[in-house]
Amino acid sequence: MDIILGIRVQEGTIIAASKAATRGISILKDTDDKTRILNTHNLVAFTGESGDTVHFTEYIQANIQLHTMRENDLELSPSAVASFVRNQLATSLRSRKPYQVNVLLAGYDVKTNTPTLNWIDYLGTQTELPYGAHGYAAFYCSSLLDRHYRTDMNIDEGLKLLDDCLEELERRMPIDFKGCYIKVVDKDGVRDITK
Amino acid sequence: MSDPSSINGGTAVAMVGKDCIAIASDLRLGNQSLGLANNFEKVFQFGDKTFMALTGLASDVITLKETFRLKNNLYNLREEREIEPQTLANLVSSTLYEKRFGPYFIGPIVAGLDSKTSKPFICGFDLIGCIDFAKDFIVSGTATDQLYGMCESLYEPNLEPEDLFETISQALLNAVDRDALSGWGAVVYIVTKDKVVKRTLRTRQD
Amino acid sequence: MSGYDSALSIFSPDGYVFQVEYASEAVKRGTCAVGVKGKEIVVLGCEKRTTLKLQDPRITPSKICKVDNHCLLAFAGLNADARILVDKARVEAQSHKLTLEDSVSIEYLTKYVAGVQQRYTQSGGVRPFGIACLIAGFDSNDKVPKLYQTEPSGVFNAWKANAIGRSSKTVREFLEKHYEQDMSDEKTIKLTIKSLLEVVQTGAKNIEISVMKAGDANISKLTVEEIKKYVDEIEAEDEAEAEKKKPKTRA
Repeated sequence: MDIILGIRVQEGTIIAASKAATRGISILKDTDDKTRILNTHNLVAFTGESGDTVHFTEYIQANIQLHTMRENDLELSPSAVASFVRNQLATSLRSRKPYQVNVLLAGYDVKTNTPTLNWIDYLGTQTELPYGAHGYAAFYCSSLLDRHYRTDMNIDEGLKLLDDCLEELERRMPIDFKGCYIKVVDKDGVRDITK
Repeated sequence: MSDPSSINGGTAVAMVGKDCIAIASDLRLGNQSLGLANNFEKVFQFGDKTFMALTGLASDVITLKETFRLKNNLYNLREEREIEPQTLANLVSSTLYEKRFGPYFIGPIVAGLDSKTSKPFICGFDLIGCIDFAKDFIVSGTATDQLYGMCESLYEPNLEPEDLFETISQALLNAVDRDALSGWGAVVYIVTKDKVVKRTLRTRQD
Repeated sequence: MSGYDSALSIFSPDGYVFQVEYASEAVKRGTCAVGVKGKEIVVLGCEKRTTLKLQDPRITPSKICKVDNHCLLAFAGLNADARILVDKARVEAQSHKLTLEDSVSIEYLTKYVAGVQQRYTQSGGVRPFGIACLIAGFDSNDKVPKLYQTEPSGVFNAWKANAIGRSSKTVREFLEKHYEQDMSDEKTIKLTIKSLLEVVQTGAKNIEISVMKAGDANISKLTVEEIKKYVDEIEAEDEAEAEKKKPKTRA
């Protein structure tokens, strides 16, 4: 039921992640950040089974940070991070209890100066997309994004399109997800631009 | 939990022509009814003239593509030559059978030309590695029923590369148009003694 | 002496484990490393051995290693042993953060590194690590600088300033003479460089300095030019001192 959306524009990748944390019939908090920073140019947004989500994502975060330490601050590229995350999920799939976690990886490759958005589900399916979402959000927003997305959009245009998607979700989803945290990953790193 | 081999959708086919082979797949990656990507190729190259197509659960497609890339690289380093299609076929078979009681949900196809004789070779496998050697065509994926019908009627032996391209393209196109889970573009490789040509087909985008 | 040093598992009659003592000898042959604490700063410096002609100094790994964003480790002794120990420390730092949410405190990390070194003095089929470490940094949300030293035996101590490796005795004596409590950032850096100059005759290009200040991820390496500036200042001061001490010619 949680929303995670991503749009890749010319200079960076935008991520929206819903703020509500719900258990059963109660909303526990409306300030739940469903993202984690992996390294200066990689951000992961996650949804799925409670507990599994944070456990898996923080495990990935620790490993990526260890890599940064070991490699003398030389950071893993977004595609390398995506392959690592996918590999962990694919391995977990055939273990005793698989992680039921779906992620969107927003990244900026500093070597080629290209933003990336990787969609990875709990089975280990991975694909690089111009825009994407996990869960029901995809059913509401994919067609809007298909229609209005342009590869040469800038951050502001991307944010406007994201606003349209969020408006659609607010209007048509039967649940109140308490708005979204909005983050951007570009050449300067990760920043939070939630209003 | 639904059938793993039809969650993501996808289809592939290979055919034998006169001193050439053709191997093709669609480009769709979906999550049941939801289409996710229209650039998910399912044909991979291992050496100059050897190709493999992998349909089924997308996670396993990626895993096996990477596994076979690793095994192929080691093969190249140790043998100091490229792997033959027949050998790759047996490698696929043993790799899959190792997971006999927890299999990969996959429908591989191997196609290529022998490096010495340039004789065409194609074969298909089931998910646990049983090799199906064929002289004419091999099909795999969610539109196999449709593909069997198309191939059986359109196929004739000893087609020249250009004609083989037309035949395999029509077989694939019309078969995936009748399958909800396949389509969103297609890619065709024609492999002859001197060159490999990759063409992307314009298909219905629904 | 004879026989009691042939294995790690043997005590000598006078209570020494000679293999551990010999490990310290390996440390004494390593290039010098120095650590100095100031009021809100801790500086690590080390001697950079003159590179052979074809060696590429730009990408040869430094002897001052980052263990986490708030912690540095400098070593003296067997470089290869250090690589392994530093990696263990790095993994422990991340593991601690993952399970306990907080970054390691400098003391915790030192205890861990010293613990690993001790384990290798009381095991079968292994030898002790031939390195001593200077571990420096700040605990999270704390402005108090920390500096610890570990030895091959697994002993660790906290220090205000210390040196390890080649000519460490000379450097330590120099530090004992010139160390002041609560020094400013500038004075601390200068003292570190000055103490290293006691053993590194060839100047700025053979010195490496890393500076840690309180706050988030405040680790900086001084460039050769910056070090040279300090060296020039120090040399000028020394000359002035020497001038003053010279007997004045009669007017």
